Amino acid sequence: MNFSRRDFLKASLAGSLAVGAGGLLDACGTGNTIKAFTTSTAGKPRMGGQLRAGLTGGSTADTLSPLNAITNVDFSRINNLYEPLVGLTPEAQPVNVLAQELISNKNATEWTIRIKQGITFHNGKPLTADDVIYTFRQILNPKAPAAAAAGLASIDAKGIAKLDAYTVRIPCSTPFATLGQALAIPGYSDIIPVGFNPAAPAGTGPFKVKSFSPGTQSTFVRYDGYWQARPYLDEIVITDYSDQTSQVNALLAGQVDAVNLLSEDVISEVQGESKNVLLSAGGGWNPFTMRVDAKPFNDVRVRQAMRLLVDRQQMNDLVFGGFGTLGNDVFGIWAPEYDHSLPQRHQDIDQAKSLLKAAGAEDLHITLVTSDIAQGTVLAAQVFAQQASAAGVSVSVDDVTVNEFYGTNYLKWQFAQDYWFYNFYLPQVSLATLPSAPFNETHWNNPRYNSLYAQAIATVPQALRNEIAHEMQQIEYNEGGYIIPFFPPVVDGFAANVGGLVSSKIGLSLNAYDFKGVWLS
Amino acid sequence: MTTATEAPERVGPPSKAARPHPIRDLLIKRSLIGILTLILVSILVFAATQTLPGNAASAVLQNTATPQRLHALEVQLGLTRPAVEQYWTWLTGVLHGNFGKSLANGQPVGTLVGGRILNSLVLVVLAGVIGTLIGVGLGVLAAARRDSVFDHVLSVTSLAITALPEFVVAVVLVIFFAAVVIHWFPAVSVFVPGTAPWSNPRELVLPVATLVIVVVPYVFRMMRASMIDALESDYVQMARLKGVPRWRVLLFHALPNAIAPTIQVIGLTFLYLAGGVVVVEYLFNYPGLGQALVSAVSDRDIPQIQAIVLVLAAFYIAVNILTDVIALAVSPRRRLPRS
Repeated sequence: MNFSRRDFLKASLAGSLAVGAGGLLDACGTGNTIKAFTTSTAGKPRMGGQLRAGLTGGSTADTLSPLNAITNVDFSRINNLYEPLVGLTPEAQPVNVLAQELISNKNATEWTIRIKQGITFHNGKPLTADDVIYTFRQILNPKAPAAAAAGLASIDAKGIAKLDAYTVRIPCSTPFATLGQALAIPGYSDIIPVGFNPAAPAGTGPFKVKSFSPGTQSTFVRYDGYWQARPYLDEIVITDYSDQTSQVNALLAGQVDAVNLLSEDVISEVQGESKNVLLSAGGGWNPFTMRVDAKPFNDVRVRQAMRLLVDRQQMNDLVFGGFGTLGNDVFGIWAPEYDHSLPQRHQDIDQAKSLLKAAGAEDLHITLVTSDIAQGTVLAAQVFAQQASAAGVSVSVDDVTVNEFYGTNYLKWQFAQDYWFYNFYLPQVSLATLPSAPFNETHWNNPRYNSLYAQAIATVPQALRNEIAHEMQQIEYNEGGYIIPFFPPVVDGFAANVGGLVSSKIGLSLNAYDFKGVWLS
Repeated sequence: MTTATEAPERVGPPSKAARPHPIRDLLIKRSLIGILTLILVSILVFAATQTLPGNAASAVLQNTATPQRLHALEVQLGLTRPAVEQYWTWLTGVLHGNFGKSLANGQPVGTLVGGRILNSLVLVVLAGVIGTLIGVGLGVLAAARRDSVFDHVLSVTSLAITALPEFVVAVVLVIFFAAVVIHWFPAVSVFVPGTAPWSNPRELVLPVATLVIVVVPYVFRMMRASMIDALESDYVQMARLKGVPRWRVLLFHALPNAIAPTIQVIGLTFLYLAGGVVVVEYLFNYPGLGQALVSAVSDRDIPQIQAIVLVLAAFYIAVNILTDVIALAVSPRRRLPRS
């Protein structure tokens, strides 16, 4: 009884690697297989019923507070309980939800937000400007900053003023032309009522809490005072699963109706007469991170060589069964600022070798720190090591625990990985690639890039901003510290009687867990 | 493992007042050692959690841990205090019956762990009792029909099952009885939080069956071996020659003498079950102690880790003491003072 589960998984992984190489041809041959099942169409919409979702990714640290939502599964709860000022469409573009309009002054240092009227919280209280002000001050509370604080740091929380019952004025300490985009990131602008009590949470969302036990199960019932079209479902039961095996078994045995975050190797197991798979081309990204301020990556040629070592299509085939979207070392693929005209980078071993030679780093030995932080990260690291060996670069993969990865060395690893949810380009820059960014894991500090950002963030018209952003992306594409081989797909499973699920580019499972349009036939 | 039973070192005829009472003496002595062990375990576990990379705050915040957020949460959770002070606060709390609050979600550990103790206990006791009965029964039958086809099939099968880790057994059961072939039982055991496990009997079937399949071979093999020894003994020969019916020889002459060594194995089985439930609970998503321990460790939730480990350690100690007491009770000659 000493054979551990981890060994077993490793053995199965080795098996699936071999199978994966065969699957490569299938994935290429059938072209864009993703289109085959992007929406669920289970008869006509019907009122009533209980949707049972079996979700992995949660823990006993699960929360119902939108201020501290972190994991994929936290969003399954808060996205049904609360609503943001600005949300995301399935195409990952901003759309006003509670906000009626957002207007900025000329240089984006002051915003006026008008909210919709006639909306009530689950406790019956009407939504007003006071709640918006309260929410922003909670998010930016210096004593207990919320997850969104870093992304909204330009907002001057103290200076927020109420203009009338439904209008607030938001001053910014530095220009913030991308406020509308930043607010659309899940959890960044979910409005909570004044005096929010996490023990009896009230939002304006389509469902309200009935019960919640962290890491185990939670139930939500339809909010009859909901201001938009009435949701079909009476009730949602979300059960935490510790592992994909039990989650898939529960789906196959009919104990749950929908499951999230599957790996691609169970697609064939799940797909059948009464079960189906929802594939989404997510905009989240799992980069390799090279510290540009330390040897050997302080030499731009070494970074360029590392990027050329990757056979992106093969890595995508092996790690995600070919269902991911190829990356080009620039993040924000579905953002309107993303430059799709940059030529797709391919593996070029000869070019990589000569760059390494020029940098005097022919016999490069490096350690790649990996961890099971997101789906496929460890496997991607192993594939990278394998691909790099073609150019004589020896990569030793150091697989550490998640806690060690995010422990004291986080943001200091010389060569590691990370995962990010979808974000727009410039808001992502403010989090990851500026000297002032809180998560600048590549220690990127490029003066030209920094000044372009300062210019872009003060430019209100989107078209002009896109031009500046393209120039920034050109710099990252040529010199950056990230290797972004792909944007992972999101694979979810559902029973055939579940209707109204659509695939989305947001990168969170089950169309960011938006269950208000879901029905059971 | 369980040591041989201590017998009081008394020589000469005891007076009536100081009549040796080996069972009571053993209980007192072993309970005191047990309490000491628990305190040592709590210190060891606490020290171990301090050496783990990261803490509860970084485990909760993961990649949203800006220095400000990390610091705010560490202060809120009391993690900035010296380790010895944290341990002392916890220990004095426990002595007052307060196991503290979970670092991950702020709920009282007593409530979080309490319900799960019951869930795991039901699993362990059901699997232990059923496994023991089946193991002892098959062992007696196999010994009685030694070298028959029945005996050989059982022996080989039990050897094969011994080689299977519990998650393989569980996966096979799920494939056949829940997910793929027939859908008789639920593939995962999800209870509505707050309901007792016996109100969900269907959910118990596969986890209990997995554990039973894993433990039966051990009990069976021990029982078969000691039963064969007993059947070859002189008193059994004597009984047979006397013309005692075969079933009587088996049940009343051989079995009582063969059961003593098996009791140690049954005790070991229960001890194994206390650890073995971790994997089975994880696979079936069964809301027990094992599953809670796995998530508490990854959340660096020290109060919850401490509480669960203490429960498991106390269970080990209690089963060890109980095994020795039963072994004493069923073998009268070991109760007599050495002379």
